[in-house]
Amino acid sequence: MFLSGFEFNLVELGHFAAYLAFAVAVVMALAPAAAQFFHRPELARVGVNASIAVFVLTTLGGLAMIHAFVTDNFSVQYVAANSNSKLPLFYKVSALWGGHEGSLYLWVWVLTLYTMLVSFHGRRHYPDRLPTILAVQGALMVGFFGLILFLSNPFLRLFPMPPDGRDLNPLLQDPGMVFHPPMLYLGYVGFSVPFAFAMAALITRWKSEYWIAHIRRWALIAWGFLTTGIILGGWWAYYELGWGGYWAWDPVENASFMPWLVGTALVHSITVQERRRMLHAWNIFLVITAFSLSLLGTFLVRSGVLSSVHAFAVDPGRGAYILAFMTVVLTVSFSIFLARGRYQEAEEGMTSMLSRESMFVWNNVVFTVAAACVLLGTLYPLALEALRGDKITVGAPYFNAVMVPIFLAALLLMAVAPLVPWRKANPERLRSRLLVPVALGLTAGVVMLVAAWPLHWTGPVAAALIAFVTGTIITDYARAVRQRRVQHPGESLLRALARTVLGNRRHYGGMIVHLGIITIAIGLTGSGLFRLEKSVVMAPGEVVEVGSERLRFDGVRSFQRDNYFTLQGQFTLLDRGVVVLPERRRYPVQEMPTTESGIHSTLWRDVYVVIAEPVGQGNQTKWGVHVYVNPLIQWIWGGGLIALFGLGVTLTSRRRTARDAVAATAAAS
Amino acid sequence: MNKTWLRLSVCICGLLLCYTLPVWAEPVQEDPLDRAVLEIAKDLRCAVCQNQPVAESNSDLAKDMRQLIREQLVAGKSRDEIVDYFVARYGDYVLMKPPTERAGLLLWIVPPVLLVTLALLSWVFLRQRSQAPPPPAPVLSAQDQARVRAARGQQDMKMGTKKKGANTKKKKDNRP
Repeated sequence: MFLSGFEFNLVELGHFAAYLAFAVAVVMALAPAAAQFFHRPELARVGVNASIAVFVLTTLGGLAMIHAFVTDNFSVQYVAANSNSKLPLFYKVSALWGGHEGSLYLWVWVLTLYTMLVSFHGRRHYPDRLPTILAVQGALMVGFFGLILFLSNPFLRLFPMPPDGRDLNPLLQDPGMVFHPPMLYLGYVGFSVPFAFAMAALITRWKSEYWIAHIRRWALIAWGFLTTGIILGGWWAYYELGWGGYWAWDPVENASFMPWLVGTALVHSITVQERRRMLHAWNIFLVITAFSLSLLGTFLVRSGVLSSVHAFAVDPGRGAYILAFMTVVLTVSFSIFLARGRYQEAEEGMTSMLSRESMFVWNNVVFTVAAACVLLGTLYPLALEALRGDKITVGAPYFNAVMVPIFLAALLLMAVAPLVPWRKANPERLRSRLLVPVALGLTAGVVMLVAAWPLHWTGPVAAALIAFVTGTIITDYARAVRQRRVQHPGESLLRALARTVLGNRRHYGGMIVHLGIITIAIGLTGSGLFRLEKSVVMAPGEVVEVGSERLRFDGVRSFQRDNYFTLQGQFTLLDRGVVVLPERRRYPVQEMPTTESGIHSTLWRDVYVVIAEPVGQGNQTKWGVHVYVNPLIQWIWGGGLIALFGLGVTLTSRRRTARDAVAATAAAS
Repeated sequence: MNKTWLRLSVCICGLLLCYTLPVWAEPVQEDPLDRAVLEIAKDLRCAVCQNQPVAESNSDLAKDMRQLIREQLVAGKSRDEIVDYFVARYGDYVLMKPPTERAGLLLWIVPPVLLVTLALLSWVFLRQRSQAPPPPAPVLSAQDQARVRAARGQQDMKMGTKKKGANTKKKKDNRP
């Protein structure tokens, strides 16, 4: 009994490691300032080693928490609140980010990982600025560790120790939810790297030619993770929530979508700065905004402000801390930006109104407005309630009405811009190149209009634009391949096709991403405009018809699995002989029902079945059944994969800049 | 013997037909009233849920609201009357799509205004930039020039006779 009190508990080691990490982060944040103050330049280099130490320590803390989950250590409050001895092992590990405290820990863990990677990368490429970059990252870490250790500490112990845990929220017991938060955080926190670069550049007046290529890669990586996270979130909502849709414009979703929109603007506009040495200040603004919106996303989801403004006020500690932290970050970064933002003037002028660079400016207009509209729709109800006490709902119909036209404008730019050359476009040539894609687009629009009449105006417009973009990309590619075959007459067609892409990975990678987005747009249009649904009450043996799909209800059975009871309905798709098995689960620990939809997917449509409540008693029991036929919905997930593949292609391009070559030769001589 | 076979095959055929019976059975029809209720419930917010329409919520309040909609539809009220009834009871909060008047007005004005403003600003920016004389090419310091010369020399040496290659590279760079 006495000895058990002395039992070595790994969690306390992790807790200690987290405090040490906090201290190391403080050192990192102060290192360059100390170096300046004491006139000891070597002090600045402390931050470089500190970045490794802080990652190792944070990882120790994280592993200790995971160990506590896996070994059912319910003496840890957070484990007791988010796990259960019957929870499958897979979900015990992922339960680390199933609650508030743990997901903040994951946030800072990811931040330390990125910081370490930056320090590895920077030691070779930008050793003189590295300490300042790491100091910015360190300051962010201090802010988050402060929140974790003092206001929402996952390591806190519980006495007396409960016999079992309260279980992970059943909705989160799903593979989609296991990977969604880490991906999203890798995206959110990924934008902290360009942010740190931009801050360091402003503070040390670092010429952007030296860092813009680096932050482009970091921004693309962050964008890729954020895209993955958002798509996984939609996939999870689709499979798990049982309302047949995947995106509800919920504030939590918007929180992740805003940094994505600004990030998209950023990865485009960085190219202008790289190629044409303009828009320096604007890019720094975008970098700061993208990271601020990532912080805002964390704040919205984690402070409880969304459920109600009042709930936020009831538990002021955490919410106020995050709000204060965000205010400090925003004020400091934008002040530095306002004071120093124009430290570097544009070095080239715009040659023509019709050029690739002007197209990128329009892209930025569209994406900035899109992000601002989502921000408005998300924050307006909160502001209204806080300021005037009025309550208003800004739901999906609003966002659809406002955002769909903006997305269509983005598609139009996506169709035209890749054909417009840098500097100055030749209108004649542009017109001749646009001819085929425009014809394709118009045909697609008219076909859609005639085939699906009557339909919402967005249908034919979207179809036309999708065909237009596809036409542009394919004709552009075909032209390049033809040119290559003229230059390399002996080459086989297949080789020419591959070589063209590999020879300009950056451009064609981007075009593959565009094709992915187009695939997603096809999925959105199909499932958004042509969804069929039916809500019926069925007895076993009865058949329901939705569109051309016929489903027979075969009956229900109930049984028990690891940690829940389930009631499973069986439906047969009569035309295919396929069985789908929707479930209603009840998790006894949390007394929470969840639905598992039964889905049969093909490339062209999903049949999506949800079994609702029983109607009537005994032998006469009938069941409420919702059936949705969602056309083309699999294209959304497939498009995500295509976009990620394209991003990978882009990231493999390693073009040595002229400046690098000069530096290398200078070093060699 | 033959007869038994015949009987058996008739039986088997009959059994097989039984299997296909549901295919011919009259499919279950959706209650049109249910559909009408859901169509209205889609645009109303379940007041106790997080951003969920009444049509999709399983909460007790949403069930009551669907029942209320049904009763009013049976009583012969129109869609607008029913929506107005809920707005009178819960305020604009109950509408999934904010109204274009009162507190909702700003939401509908800002996006187009923002788009037009930003587009105009960009137009002005692009025009200014394209009409302004290009900024002077930055002058390299003597030290930098020496470095460039050194680098060029190295490159030429490496390329050896391939001087043509170096020239095209310079051309590609395209900077004044």
